Amino acid sequence: MQRAVKALSTIAVVALPFVNVASRAAAAATAVKRKTVWKRVAGPQAQADRWGYVQVVLIVRKTTTTSSAGSKVTRRITGVTVPVYPDHTGRSQFISENSLPILISEALRAQTHANVDLVSGATYTSEAFTQSLQSAILKAKKV
Amino acid sequence: MGARRVEHVMGTAVVADIRDDGAWEDALDGLFEWLRFVDATFSTYREDSQISRLNRGELRPGDAHPDVGEVLARCAELREQTAGYFDAGATGDGVDPSGLVKGWSIERGARLLERAGCSNFAVNAGGDIVVRGGALPEEAWRVGIQHPTRPGAVSTLLAVSDLAIATSGDYERGGHVLDPFTRRPARGLLSVTLVGPDLGTGDAYATAAFAMGARGPHWTARLPRGYEAMSILVDGTVLATPGFGALEAG
Repeated sequence: MQRAVKALSTIAVVALPFVNVASRAAAAATAVKRKTVWKRVAGPQAQADRWGYVQVVLIVRKTTTTSSAGSKVTRRITGVTVPVYPDHTGRSQFISENSLPILISEALRAQTHANVDLVSGATYTSEAFTQSLQSAILKAKKV
Repeated sequence: MGARRVEHVMGTAVVADIRDDGAWEDALDGLFEWLRFVDATFSTYREDSQISRLNRGELRPGDAHPDVGEVLARCAELREQTAGYFDAGATGDGVDPSGLVKGWSIERGARLLERAGCSNFAVNAGGDIVVRGGALPEEAWRVGIQHPTRPGAVSTLLAVSDLAIATSGDYERGGHVLDPFTRRPARGLLSVTLVGPDLGTGDAYATAAFAMGARGPHWTARLPRGYEAMSILVDGTVLATPGFGALEAG
């Protein structure tokens, strides 16, 4: 595959030098491999002043891009969880007093509930659905 | 006994659900009269609305209804607070405060109902919701957050009182919310749900966070006190602020 792409690129140089830039870029693009893995990285349990211990777990997206030029690794923090926190104060109190920009990460769930009063959703495409569900809910309450 | 009414106004179905005992016809008349006034004044789809006339230069800002000034000033504040991601001029077609008007007017409508004596009610404008008190005889209102890919399912259920809930998202076609900086559809998120004391503000924050794409959830981690957010990423990861979980039912 690699050889075929190179050969094509050489022909392009001979025939149309101007096009070469684009075709070489295309050749590079086809040879690039990207691998993404998600990792959980736990921090140590740290003393948080009078609050007790806190442990933070980061969710890191690690992308390894391999091309003919070598491989490059990029890491990005995509989530934060707090599995250990001072339970004698309550997590929210601790967080609000320290203003930590923390997000709790979890997987998307799908649930169906009989006992729902209203549904919040984006208006655009869901409008019909939301309206229909809303009127069904209103109807269900009268049954 | 309570009262319920559904009317199509501001391009969506608005449902008012009052659970207090009593006769609420006058209160509901007042609510929907107000919403029709808002539609007539602010709609960019109406040639004769004040917003359309402002954009054509036929109406001077100083001559507009005081509510128009209030809404446009609030849009400017929200643009600042959201680093430009909530932008009432994003369409490049004059000013368009629609992103704030619905939530703002429903919040104001809720105050009208309270003044008329209601204390346990919900108003739902196409998925943007204000709740007050409880869903009598239940203590709290049970508000489902629509699942972004499965119609009929909810991704979570909140049990709430005295709160506004707004969701911004692209469930099917994409391209509804534009990144005001690139003028291209925002990517990276399926939906952002905001809860807090004011529906207009929450709705604007949800729109801004959605427009930010993958960086949106991190921005929601620093919302003003009282506001909490839940973002659903395109890979199905849910990122919520810690206080959001506290609102979830059972």
